[in-house]
Amino acid sequence: MDSLPDAGTAEEAAQAGNRDPQGGARRSGVGLDWLNFFTANLQTAFGPFIAVYLTQQRWTQSDIGFALSVGYAATMISQVPAGALVDSMPRKTIAAGAAILAVIAGALLLALFPEMLPVLLAEISHAFASCMLSPAIAALSLAVAGQAAGERLGRNARFAGIGNGTAAGMMALVGSQLGARWVFLLGAALAVPGLFALRLIRPGVSPQAAGRAPPRERVGKLLRDRRLLWFASCCAAFHLSNAAMLPLAAASATEKLGNDATLVIGACIVGPQIIVALLSPGVGRAAERFGRRPVLVLGMLALPLRGLALAFNPSASLLVPIQLLDGISGAVFGVLVPLVAADITAGSGRFNLCMGLLGLAIGAAAACSTWAGGALADQSVHLAFLMLAGAGLVGVALAALMPETARGA
Amino acid sequence: MIRIIAALLLAAGQALAAEPPNPVPAEPHNPVPAEPHNSMPAVPPKPQPAPTEKIAASGIIGRKVLGPDAKEIGRVVDVLVDAGSNPRAAVIDFGGFLGVGSRRIAVNWSDLTFPPTGGDADIKLDLTAEQIEAAPAYTDQTKPASVVQPPPLTPRFTSTPASAGH
Repeated sequence: MDSLPDAGTAEEAAQAGNRDPQGGARRSGVGLDWLNFFTANLQTAFGPFIAVYLTQQRWTQSDIGFALSVGYAATMISQVPAGALVDSMPRKTIAAGAAILAVIAGALLLALFPEMLPVLLAEISHAFASCMLSPAIAALSLAVAGQAAGERLGRNARFAGIGNGTAAGMMALVGSQLGARWVFLLGAALAVPGLFALRLIRPGVSPQAAGRAPPRERVGKLLRDRRLLWFASCCAAFHLSNAAMLPLAAASATEKLGNDATLVIGACIVGPQIIVALLSPGVGRAAERFGRRPVLVLGMLALPLRGLALAFNPSASLLVPIQLLDGISGAVFGVLVPLVAADITAGSGRFNLCMGLLGLAIGAAAACSTWAGGALADQSVHLAFLMLAGAGLVGVALAALMPETARGA
Repeated sequence: MIRIIAALLLAAGQALAAEPPNPVPAEPHNPVPAEPHNSMPAVPPKPQPAPTEKIAASGIIGRKVLGPDAKEIGRVVDVLVDAGSNPRAAVIDFGGFLGVGSRRIAVNWSDLTFPPTGGDADIKLDLTAEQIEAAPAYTDQTKPASVVQPPPLTPRFTSTPASAGH
């Protein structure tokens, strides 16, 4: 940890600022770009792919189910404490660096020791670390960007989208050519440059590090904030609608095309990331100019459209274009979740806790979505997509009714 | 995992020597090519270990399944056994991209051909891609499964090359 930059003392920041204020900001920006690029892949390998890998390692289905449930439970339990921990750490670069190291350790454990205990350890360490990492990156971005938060968060989402798409493609290739174990080794290797990118970031003097921080506001005040309740409901409705769509669409592609569906599903995963990369900066600027709410409504509208299109989709060839709609809502939520959390918690010192609370709402809704979507799809896939579209429509209504959170709007 | 726990129990039993160590579990439904169980004559009051034999058989969970054209179809994830303890079907997981969108079907046990060596070689399945795609998904292990039936003897089936085992 010694190698990490001190985000810290006032003197250092002042010196850096005196030397080259423009260059310092540019370096921090480049650092954030690549930090987002290299850490986006960390979620890819730890998703459903773990089940593929453990099956190849001769695990029984019940053991795999148990390990995945432990990982899911650990993520849900970690969200809020991890957010609170990041809030309490004056140097967010240390929070981010420790989280990246923990994720690398988890990936290596999975690759090298596919036995129950190491896998559970890897799942838990990955869960806690990823709950720290995404708020910490957003917090660093806000510290670097100052007033231009929307612009910066848009760039974050752009680089995360490129990183996600690239990593998914590379991992699928490596997994099929070299074996599933190499996917985790690749994931660990890709995270290492993220540590170097982190070293470029100089977030300036945080009030906490300078010892001039106002006391953090009471948690109760955040929990009673009506804007948080509205936005958490929007996020929950979004993921209730969104989370099951890709798996169900992919399963129906496999039903129609068999093993040939692999390429189609790959395009359904990578394609939207390209859209995210293209749209995110514009989303960030639009959220600053027109306010959060109109952008949120537009992003949310893509969901019922996608659900309806999938419900009435006659052929597998239209699946990829329909899935590109996922990129629109993905870009909007990638930018707006940290942006609205920053609006709600401005000056309160509770940004990361707020991100954790939103993460909890998102995780619970996503789990409901895949569970209910899967159960419905056993009866009728058409009906399942219609229900998911309905949840998206509720999301549109919630977004339209929610109070604007942008300051001065 | 079960093997690790069994090994730990065994080791603990030997270390304490308080009670006779468990006989090595035979793992009847998962016959692994005989691991050498400790046959060294150890400390005096030890009872004889249960006799073992080496059998040419191997586990099938996670093994690759190849179609008639020798292309990979998927992997075995489960075996369905009936009340008479006969294996009736294998659950095969196939398709998907990084684990997203894979599909499971149950195929008739007698349609599988196991490699004669009993080792880790690939398993063969006498079903065409069309038959696999048309098969109903295997979803709920608490309900009776729909198993893909052996295809009727059509000219195409009888001319399928290299479908050994019948």
